[in-house]
Amino acid sequence: MRLFNLTICLLLLSVAANAQQNYDVNLIPKELTPYANTIVRNSVETVEVKDLNDVEYHVTEAITILNKNGDDRARLIAEYDKMKELKYIKGYIYNSFGQQISKFSKSDCEDYSAAHDFSLFEDARMKVYTPSITQYPYTIVYDYAYRSKQTLGFENWEPVEHHGVAIEKSSFTFICKPDFSIKYKATKVSAEPLITTDAHGLKNYTWQISNQKAAKYEPYSPYYSDYLPSVEIAPQKFNYYGIDGSYNSWAELGKWEYDNLIASRQALTPETMQHIKEITKDITDPKLKAKKVYEYMQSKTHYISVQVGIGGNQPFLAADVDKQNYGDCKALVNYTQALLKAVDINSYYCVVQADDDYTIGLQKDFPGMEQGNHIILCVPFKNDTTWADCTSQTIPFGYLGAFTDDRNVLACTPEGGKLLHTPKYTFNDNIKTRKASFVIENNGAISGTMTTVFKGIDYEYRDELINESKVEQDKMLQKIYPINNLLIDKLDIAQDKSFTPSTTENIKLHARDYASFADGKYYFLLNTINRITETPKEVRNRVNDVYIARGSTEEDEITYTIPAGYHLQKEPLNASVEKPFGNFKATMELKGNQLIFKRKLQLIGGTYSKDTYQDLVDFYQAIVDADDYNVALVKN
Amino acid sequence: MKKALILLSVFFLLTKLSQAQDFAYGTATAEEMDMTKYSKDTAAHAVVLQEFGESKINVGNDDNIKLIYTYHVKIKIFDKKGFDLGTVEIPVYNNSDADSYENAYGIKGITSYKDDNGLTRQIELEDKKIYPVKENKHWANYKFALSGLRDGCIIEYQYTIESPYFENFHSWQFQSDIPKISSEYDVHIPGFWNYNASIRGFLKLDKNTSEIERQCFSSGGAHCDCSFITYGMHNIPAFEEEDAMTAPKNFRSAINFELIEYMNPYTGAKVKVTKEWKDVDYQLKIDAYFGRQLKREGLLKDKIAPVIAGKTDDLDKAKAIYKYLQTWFKWNDYHGIYCVDGLAKALDSHSGSVADINFSLIDALKAGGLNADAVILSTRENGSVNSLYPVISDFNYVVAKVDIGTESYFLDATDPLLPFGVLPLKCLNGQGRVMSLDKPSYWVDLNTRQRQKSMYSMDFTLQENGKLKGTILISSIGYDAYLKRKAIKKFNSTDEYVEDLFSHLPKFKLLKSTINNADSLDKPIGEVYEVEISLYDKPGDTKFTFSPFFFNKITENPFKIIDRLYPVDWGMPSDQRNTLTVHLPKGYTVETPPQTLNIGMPNNGGMFLSSYEPLDNSFTFSNVIQFNKGIYSNVEYPYLKELYNKIIQTEKGEMVFSKK
Repeated sequence: MRLFNLTICLLLLSVAANAQQNYDVNLIPKELTPYANTIVRNSVETVEVKDLNDVEYHVTEAITILNKNGDDRARLIAEYDKMKELKYIKGYIYNSFGQQISKFSKSDCEDYSAAHDFSLFEDARMKVYTPSITQYPYTIVYDYAYRSKQTLGFENWEPVEHHGVAIEKSSFTFICKPDFSIKYKATKVSAEPLITTDAHGLKNYTWQISNQKAAKYEPYSPYYSDYLPSVEIAPQKFNYYGIDGSYNSWAELGKWEYDNLIASRQALTPETMQHIKEITKDITDPKLKAKKVYEYMQSKTHYISVQVGIGGNQPFLAADVDKQNYGDCKALVNYTQALLKAVDINSYYCVVQADDDYTIGLQKDFPGMEQGNHIILCVPFKNDTTWADCTSQTIPFGYLGAFTDDRNVLACTPEGGKLLHTPKYTFNDNIKTRKASFVIENNGAISGTMTTVFKGIDYEYRDELINESKVEQDKMLQKIYPINNLLIDKLDIAQDKSFTPSTTENIKLHARDYASFADGKYYFLLNTINRITETPKEVRNRVNDVYIARGSTEEDEITYTIPAGYHLQKEPLNASVEKPFGNFKATMELKGNQLIFKRKLQLIGGTYSKDTYQDLVDFYQAIVDADDYNVALVKN
Repeated sequence: MKKALILLSVFFLLTKLSQAQDFAYGTATAEEMDMTKYSKDTAAHAVVLQEFGESKINVGNDDNIKLIYTYHVKIKIFDKKGFDLGTVEIPVYNNSDADSYENAYGIKGITSYKDDNGLTRQIELEDKKIYPVKENKHWANYKFALSGLRDGCIIEYQYTIESPYFENFHSWQFQSDIPKISSEYDVHIPGFWNYNASIRGFLKLDKNTSEIERQCFSSGGAHCDCSFITYGMHNIPAFEEEDAMTAPKNFRSAINFELIEYMNPYTGAKVKVTKEWKDVDYQLKIDAYFGRQLKREGLLKDKIAPVIAGKTDDLDKAKAIYKYLQTWFKWNDYHGIYCVDGLAKALDSHSGSVADINFSLIDALKAGGLNADAVILSTRENGSVNSLYPVISDFNYVVAKVDIGTESYFLDATDPLLPFGVLPLKCLNGQGRVMSLDKPSYWVDLNTRQRQKSMYSMDFTLQENGKLKGTILISSIGYDAYLKRKAIKKFNSTDEYVEDLFSHLPKFKLLKSTINNADSLDKPIGEVYEVEISLYDKPGDTKFTFSPFFFNKITENPFKIIDRLYPVDWGMPSDQRNTLTVHLPKGYTVETPPQTLNIGMPNNGGMFLSSYEPLDNSFTFSNVIQFNKGIYSNVEYPYLKELYNKIIQTEKGEMVFSKK
């Protein structure tokens, strides 16, 4: 056995010694070029845990850029901060024949703040190298290393970060002492790594992929981590900003987070505690009491993100939020918890991966700190668990919306972590119902009223109009409802902030030249209010499943009163499609001078097989055709 | 950024401060606290109650003479949509070069709000919560968020910036996205310095006074009087942006300053900075990062020789040189009319700023024996330039002009897809100034020749099965050809472009495609698609309705508001022509022909023309949409909107085919 390991080790060494590879682009396998703008010729990434507060990352990567679209991938971005120290950066650039044309180092890199747009301040910075090569293809080789002073979270290995990137060869090796236990999860690469012991007696876990074709963009794809290769590593024992810890389960990780990052952060001044008791003293129902507390927090605070050091994972003190009236998601949840505690309501601080487009949950079978990017609040009542996002000043208590719905979250509690699931909004919840009554005059002008009710995640659809000036509201409505020459006589938006929230919009409108008149005929578009004008693009040889994040139902009914004495020139609209992922029906009927148009579109959330995709395109084509129906009226 | 003027003060200094007009810090009246709305704009989320700025030239903290700018504002916030105003960034120029940085200090902030019991309280900004951020090698930011924000609160903050850049005298923005009750700017300019002030926007000053401050400046034994000028406005409305306009800053009310000349207080030497164009001409000519870089033909002579070898025609030479530099350089996204790295370094690294690249082009053209000059301009985003007198800081871009025979061509080598003689849209912003090294500079129109033009020719046969089969031919000419090439280059190959194009048209089945001149930048680009379109599901019907606008139909008017304040600026005229020929199956006739309409805007500003020609068993329907101007004034706007309205009305009409 020992001998075997030694052989492997020698083999690896000889590969490393041979690193000066030939980067002639003619050596790229031809089957890798379709849809590719970038070829990763060889990427070698190693992570070596030297100690609980000393981890060395080393990346060597050779990338061939085939055309301008690959330039972004050629840019090196190396982030650093006080816990992550950049050791060196070296690089070389080769022309298409594989001849070296230039080289660079850390001093040639630009230095920028790496703060997110949503943050006021973060201590993260980055070194960036942008090559200036105008002759394609070219090959760029990076070699850089950094040292991380914590072992709570390890960066994932994600060898394919973009569409258009093909991989000739890419490997990842995790090196540690034999007694440093890790858990790992590999997706779309061999589930089990090659495990060896090197000359220093260290354990090596190696994953590798080769000859992977470039992925192209496919609409309605699942979250990228479902279909692109990755390896996640989680430690058992770790050190984070000098705090030791260990975990084997979500329960233990949640406990550690609670004890070390949250528990001591919730003290409030007696005045604040007194005040919150005072304003809730007449409410007996705990849920309504919590709602009052939440609304108080909303009226008092707003979102400001400052991430410095351990503060990236630890909330501000509740008393500071109370004083300065702002905080990030962590701080505002922690503050709300403290306020709730003052009125004897227990609540949970929950880690969630927030995303509007995908419902990505924490992985049940793989606890790890790298999952989750947001904190929400969970208030468990006897028969009813209520959720809240504390970063909005306007949403109702109990409303999560598309940002955090339907996914696993980690509640960090004194008893330990609990994996919970946030509520799901289905097509029965996300409802948009519209009724309109319009009159078309002899001169083609239209006037009338329209009422729309929004429920579920649609509740927020009119938020940006609220409290705006009439001029601004009119501008926005003219974009939402593409009726030419649209003028708004009256707009009224009402929001019901109860536990089943809804928004109701009432509009009175008019527009000239809605119908055109020529040769004794009127022409007008039947559906100008709620139109779909484009189908999802067709995809040849689709690879991914079809993912519809959540369901929805929209129903429109418009009654047009048309000039008297006209009949339809062509068949009335009558479209109906039924598919596993949804259904659509649009009909019209002319009774006397009343033309009634009804349209219903329902989508059912879920993941469907890739073969369903063409059905989805056809489904939308039927909708586009129906929405394009042009009414032609002829004099009787 | 150019080298700053730094004067060391060696001796004891004495300054007399003039009476400050600033309002008291940290006071919020009961009336202000109780305000629930701004009566002149009841939907405003916030209103500036008072705003005061002061600029002076004096001895700074480091004993150098500095431009010292102080800003102080008090804002009433009515609701949460105004909370963003409580997060403040103070950008300062912060070059790594230690002797030319700007410095911000004296930052303080305070929020007055009503607490849970309705009592007015104040909370100060803590110093440790002011975050200095080095954003990149040129800029730093001081960032802070004020505490205690609540509906109805009043925020107030102030800061001072010291700058060695006398030529960047702080401008003053009277108008912003929120209304202001009062805004005042005081400037104190010692007699050693001389600036031009210019006002932009439609609003008038309510206060404009000027007086002499005796002996207000003194440094190192030198002393002089100051001009003390006050500019003020009251009840300033919020600025409302409109679609299809150029830089909002062209229209926002503001006051800008341009350094004309100064005298060295210690030596008495007079330096003219800007006065007349002849002064600017001279200055730029001798500038190490402008004029001197335009005399570096030597750097390019050897590179150019093989490129133009054997070419005798000047236009051919110019095109070859242009193409050579377009492919030599990768633009590093830096703007400006001065070189950043200098030509030698830029050429060597294949990377440069706009000036690095286009100066190289000019030198190369000259090295090739051609007559080329630099043209400085301001991009659309950067705003318009002052045409009354030279304001050099208005300019942020430079292109080349080459004269061949009697023709002049404008060239920009920063984009490898631009055809010879075509400027990117961002450069089409009125006039540019031709900076010739040996002749006086002069204005030139930049957008006189450029057009975007496209032609769609379609020839179809309607099949018995209800499908249309035939050819679509699209020619993109001028700027449209450039845009088309850019769209194609987003893909790895033209095949991938075509695949993507048709993936958005599920009813179109592509049988064959050809793209002509994809890489011949100076020629129109032609796309030829043989297609079959599933138009009707029910073959065998005796009557079909047919929209002759099934391709390129306009259903939505891009112009929505009734009146505009500001012009519509598209940059250049445009022209689209559609010709459709349809051959009907045997036995079918056209029962209802399409509507035709010929309509034009006043003064030949634009038009829509359509014509219908029936033939035996077939017809040709064609139309032209033409906008003959790049810019339409707010007076022309209703006609523009109505032209679209009429086009949409016409395109609603349908044809009817029937079987005999």
